[in-house]
Order: sequence, then structure tokens, then C-alpha cells
Amino acid sequence: MTEISNMLPGTPPKNGKSAVAVIGGNQYLVGAVSIVVFLAVWQLVSMNVPPIILPAPAKVLVAFVQLTASGELIRATGQTVWPFAVGLVIAFIVGTSVGLVLGIFRPAARVLDPYIFVFWSIPNIAWLPLFIAWFGVGNLTLVIFVFVSAVFPQLLTVEAGAKEADSFLVEVARSLGGTKREILRLVVLPSALPYIFAGLRIAVGRALVGIIVGQLLIVATGIGYMFQFYGETLSLAKYFAPLIVIAALAVLLNRGVNWAERVLIPWKQRAFV
Amino acid sequence: MPELDIVSVRKSYRSPTGENLLALADFSLKIGGGRFVTVVGPSGCGKTTLLRMAAGLVPTDVGEIRLDGARLTGPSPKMSMVFQGIGLMPWKTVAGNVTLGIQLQAHRHKLADKELGLVNSTLELVGLKGFEHYYPHQLSGGMQQRVGLARALVRQPEILLMDEPFGALDAQTRAVLQDELLSLWGRVNSTVLFITHDLDEAIYLSDLVVIMSRRPGRIKQVLEVKLPQPRYRYDARAEPEFARLRSIAWQSIKEEL
Repeated sequence: MTEISNMLPGTPPKNGKSAVAVIGGNQYLVGAVSIVVFLAVWQLVSMNVPPIILPAPAKVLVAFVQLTASGELIRATGQTVWPFAVGLVIAFIVGTSVGLVLGIFRPAARVLDPYIFVFWSIPNIAWLPLFIAWFGVGNLTLVIFVFVSAVFPQLLTVEAGAKEADSFLVEVARSLGGTKREILRLVVLPSALPYIFAGLRIAVGRALVGIIVGQLLIVATGIGYMFQFYGETLSLAKYFAPLIVIAALAVLLNRGVNWAERVLIPWKQRAFV
Repeated sequence: MPELDIVSVRKSYRSPTGENLLALADFSLKIGGGRFVTVVGPSGCGKTTLLRMAAGLVPTDVGEIRLDGARLTGPSPKMSMVFQGIGLMPWKTVAGNVTLGIQLQAHRHKLADKELGLVNSTLELVGLKGFEHYYPHQLSGGMQQRVGLARALVRQPEILLMDEPFGALDAQTRAVLQDELLSLWGRVNSTVLFITHDLDEAIYLSDLVVIMSRRPGRIKQVLEVKLPQPRYRYDARAEPEFARLRSIAWQSIKEEL
């Protein structure tokens, strides 16, 4: 992240672009070396333990290719991604808008905050049996479970952001003649924007946990079910395939959030990276 | 001619320990006529409170502020304020921050061509040409305060209120900006009410230096500075008159510390 802040479109270059490029080059080298070392260690360990504990990297690769070719992995990914995406998107929209409203209208927050805090404090896994009773065993329950997992971090982070709009900046806008509505639009909302992304980062992680747990425990489909099936049948080489998919998905999403944040918040200082 | 009339104002506030502190007692001051008036006083004497009331940001307890004869009930489009903390919106570029001065004055998002021209000429006036697309965090403190100044001036204010605007800057930058302020003031016809605790700054800039007592703040003494303007044209600080006024003002302030 360090180097990117200096290369933003429209950002006047500061200093040391070439130094940044050198570090960037080194980072590729470091990355390559680290992957080689990682695979070597994996190989070494797998040669000294039974395959039922840790399969060799090559075996994992073969299983990954087989599962992909048979269509099983792709189908499972689809079954996982859809309810995950729907639940997360609704959680993002609801969490962000309710968070903004509560952050701006203090009386509403005073009424609702205690409830939100209680719901947020309940470990979300405790909801599952209730959701199954209410919504049955199916994608609806999955979506709702993902939603409940992700909505609270989004809501609470955005609410905190809207509450903490710099009171000095509000006074400055007031001195320039800003009405309440203008101050909301021009000061409060922009200062809450970074918090929307901070919330989304947490929400993505929680939603991922939600979808895997949900598929493991409720619907027996998708990536979550693959974990369960290949785990219980001790087919560890195959177990690693959905693991790789989930890791890739998580990395991709985090990168996506970072990218969106850089594009939408070009003013953010990155003094501490 | 624009006129800001502070009439028998009294203001107290509650301290963190719950006491009632009288910040200003029966304070009256009339400014206008394009004059540069500076209020100096020991810290905690109510200078900033005075300016915030003059800006319409806080109400008075007793007495009133009149702008061109009408009682002030809130911030006025005829006035602009410049803050020590500057208060630029970090998510807006230099040009965006200056534009905000007009947007909040006119309650319109879109500017007319004439207003856009005004934004450009103001940016040029304060030496920000070429920095339009920078974000505040990419600028030095001195440059940031230039943006603060431009945001105030673009509103073509009758009265310019300045609350220790150069207080957070290093000595050289401060001297440069003082000269630029005098040069700008010579061109814009605004009446200035300036707050500082720096006596040299007060005498160097102003036509009139108002010395306040310690809290509760009252006017203790008013000094007229007759050194010809613009003072950056010559070494005004080296004039015997400057030294004389400085000595009087310092005697006066010292009694209040």
C-alpha cells in the first residue's frame, strides 16, 4: 500500500518514485522466494507424516485440477458465492444507511443503540437453529445468516464515523453560512466515508465465516459442504481445493475493498503504512 | 460603509468544574470603514469568544452585535472568518475548498461563470495558482492558511474576521503571510477584525490596536498606529514609532498577566 499512495491519478508526485520502484521490484523477489520456501517446507513435512495428516503439494494440485475439471469445485463455488454476495450486499446497504441515520439523529441512536449492542454481542452461530426453524433449510436461511453476520460491524462502524464528524469542521462550515442540510452533505457524509470502508472490511470477513458455517451446518451445499465431506472422509488432498478457493476469494475481496477505497478516498493520508 | 457594532456584550460560560466563568463583561467596540483593527490580550481574556460572537457562531448573553445596523442572529454572508486551525475539508482539493466559501454563501452547488472566475482570481491573488488540484494534506501549513484566506476572500466580505490565523506557523512563514495579508487588504476594501496575542503582529498590521484586560475581558486601552500603509514597503518594524507603541502596549499587557 505504501507505493500506491504516491501513484494516484491526479496526485502530484511527492518524492522518491524511483526508490519506490526499487522496493517494488524487491517485493516481487521476496514474494517468489517466500512461495518457494513455503512449498519446500510443505513438501518436507508431508514426506515425514502420513498423507492422512498432510498431503504433498503435488497431490493437492492434482486434486484441485480434478475437482475443477469435474465441475464440482466450480458448482460449489457458485453455490457459495451467490448467497454470500446477496447477504453481504444487503448487509452493506442496510448497515451503511442505518448507521448513517443513527450517527446523525442522536435521539434515534439513543433508542436503538442498546438493542443493536445486544444483538451484536450475541455470537451469531446461536441464531442458526432459530433461523432454520423460521426460514427452513435453504438459501434464504443462508442469505439471512450472512446478512446478520455482516450487518452489525458495518452499522456500528458507520454510526461511529458519522458521530465523530470533526466538530471544528462543522463550525467552519457554519461560519461560512452552511445550513444543517448542507453541513450534513458537505461535512458529515464525507467524513464518514472512510468508516464505510473500515466497516466493509470487517463485514466481508464476518460474511465469509457466515457462509462457510451456514453451508457446513445447514444446507450441505457449496464450499462449506466440501469442507465437511472431504474432512469427514479424510480425503485431505481434496479438502485443500475449497480452502484455496476461499483463500483466493478472501484476498480478492480485501484487495477490491482497498482498491475502491483508494479510488473513492484519494484524500486519505497514509502516514502510518 | 460596512460597520460591525459590538454593543455592551456580556458572555459567561461554564467551566469543566461547573463554575460560571465570566469571559467578557460589558464589551463594546465599533469597527468599519475598511480599517484594520486588532484585538490583543493575555490568553484566556475572551478574545476568541469575542470573535466567535462577532461571527454569529455563538449568541451573546447580554448585549448585541449589529452588522450594518441590523442585529446579528447567525453567520452572515457579508462576513468571512479565518481560523487558526484553518479547517480545510480534507476531502476537497484547494479549488474545492475555496469554492465552498461561495457555495455555502449562496446555498448553491453549481457556480455561475462569474463566480468560477472569482475563485480563479482569488487563488491567483493568494499565490495558489498551480495548486488547484492539491489536497490539503499535500500542502505546508503556510500554503494551507493561504487556502483558508482564499476561502474567506472569495466571498468578497465586508468584514473579515481573523482568529490568530498565523499563530500556528513558523516565524518566516508568518512574516511572509503578514505582508501578503496587508497587500491583499489594500486591494479588497474589507474591514478586518484580527485577534492575536503577538504585539508585534498587532502593531505591524493594524490601524487600531485594542488591548484587553484579563478575564473578564474589557477594553483596557486603544492605540492608533499612524505608521503609513502598506508597511511592507519599508521596514516598519525599525521605525521609532513602532518601538514606542510596542513599549506602551507591552506595559499595558504586562499588568494583565
